[in-house]
Amino acid sequence: MSRDRTEDDPAATRTDGGTARGGPRIESALDRIERAQSIKRALTVVGVLAVALFAMASATYLGFTLASIWRQLPTFLSSLVAFLTPDFHFFTLYATDQGLHGWNALVQSLLNPSALVDSVLRRDEGLTIVGGAVATILIGFTGTVLGFPLALLFGVLGSERVTPFPFNFIFRGTMSTIRAIPALVWVLIYVPLVGITPVGAMLAVGTDTVGNLGRLFTDELEEVEDGPIEAISSTGASSSQTVVFGMLSQVSTSFVAWTLYILEINVRIAVSLGVVGAGGIGQYVKGRIGLLNFSQAAAGILMIIAIVLTVELASSRLRARLRPGEHESRSIVDVIMGLGDGGKWFGQSSKKQ
Amino acid sequence: MPAITVENLTKRYGDTVALDDVSFELDEGEFVVLLGPSGAGKSTLLRLLNGLTTPTEGGVYIGDDEVTGKRSDIGMVFQMHYLVETMSAYRNALTGALSRADFLDSVLTRYGREDKVRALEALDTVGLLDEARQRAGSMSGGQQQRVGIARALVQEPSLLLADEPVASLDPKAAEEVMGYMKSAAAERELTTIASLHQVNLAREFGERYIGLRDGAVVFDGGRDDLTMDVVDEIYYEDGEGPAHEVVA
Repeated sequence: MSRDRTEDDPAATRTDGGTARGGPRIESALDRIERAQSIKRALTVVGVLAVALFAMASATYLGFTLASIWRQLPTFLSSLVAFLTPDFHFFTLYATDQGLHGWNALVQSLLNPSALVDSVLRRDEGLTIVGGAVATILIGFTGTVLGFPLALLFGVLGSERVTPFPFNFIFRGTMSTIRAIPALVWVLIYVPLVGITPVGAMLAVGTDTVGNLGRLFTDELEEVEDGPIEAISSTGASSSQTVVFGMLSQVSTSFVAWTLYILEINVRIAVSLGVVGAGGIGQYVKGRIGLLNFSQAAAGILMIIAIVLTVELASSRLRARLRPGEHESRSIVDVIMGLGDGGKWFGQSSKKQ
Repeated sequence: MPAITVENLTKRYGDTVALDDVSFELDEGEFVVLLGPSGAGKSTLLRLLNGLTTPTEGGVYIGDDEVTGKRSDIGMVFQMHYLVETMSAYRNALTGALSRADFLDSVLTRYGREDKVRALEALDTVGLLDEARQRAGSMSGGQQQRVGIARALVQEPSLLLADEPVASLDPKAAEEVMGYMKSAAAERELTTIASLHQVNLAREFGERYIGLRDGAVVFDGGRDDLTMDVVDEIYYEDGEGPAHEVVA
């Protein structure tokens, strides 16, 4: 604080300090600030203009013209109108068999729970919305489960604290390479093994999980406290015991939280894998749009919104419960019981008094 | 006519009485220090004074005007200064003029010249004119709190409130901040109410003292009346406490 001249003697400033309105010192300070500000403003304007111009040039390079958009606009708008009237004809096998259409097909299917189960179990007989949604969720789930052990192994071994410096990059590099290839490409890589199938989607999601979740694990391990590690190793524990008890026990809840977060993302990836034909709700939507039946595609898109939001809400609720310090009870049983409290799902905090 | 009138102010949260029938009047330019242990109702009183919360009974009046909500003519200095740390001291001080600028102008830092001069004058008052362009986050705690005072001054308030403004500062910085606040108030004839924990600072800078205990006023008087016994009475129920022993 000694670098501040005026701070040492407030009394001095009290007597000579700027009581005069807009005195010369104030004026010159204002001038200086204004000058600096106009330079900054000019630079900002130039910067914004440059970005805008470059974006326009890029769009032109990509073949964007207002005229073509304008020409297709009426067609696009009429397809959007079809989206406003979703047709749940393919919601369940039951709805299809009964020749039901529109919202009625949804309502009748829901009133008939056995129709839902039926569509899931007899998925060979046709791709329904319900069947596709279940398949998509299962692709996301099994992919996460499949990827988790390898993510844990690579994530832990990628940490500098576990594997000494140059060698940990073997694992980090593997994870980076896996991450560089999108799941959409992984599903193609697995074509010779299983073709473009839900199994391929599952393997692709699993592989992707190793890269993404492993990276999160490594980052999390970089932030653990040194003290407990030192304490555990000073008890004479072996180095693998030190890793488990000194490091992993510190991050177990956050590992679970990150895994739930990746599960969320994986369900979304599973939707997009369906679009390239690897099964699930994405494939249904792709098929309906291919037939230009936008109303039936809209029903599938509504289902996508429903499942993604449900998974996200469930996962974020669970993660909020896992965060330390916010809730007095944090056992996994309490966490699951807490899900029953509907109010909390919409962010209504239990802390409210 | 008194500048500030507090009339039978009572605030209850459920069954808890935070403030119990508090009344006092302040003249223009008075520098009042609010004393009392934690939980005595100091913060509640300040929150009622600047309209952040509404009283259960009674009211606060500035002149004839009852305080019913947040208003720009009451300046507030917070314990943790609450500056926007990525902005310069000058732009932080200018936020005190937000109520006089419309949205677009304020976003583009296009305030009236008067307000810009006001901001610099306020920074000058707290001895930070030369540091006006420094980022608030890179300043020391004492300097940050002085920017906080400058921001309140730019509001051109008729009442300045400070909620334990020096509680998180070291003794030297605390002394300086209080000194600047006192001189700013004197310069602008600004009615000021500051809650303080440090009795020595209170004695040095206060002119009038209001002591709160369990939500009620237990003392209201000048510096000469603020004896060690009175301090003990404010902080310790039976007038028996460490302060007493120190004197003895």
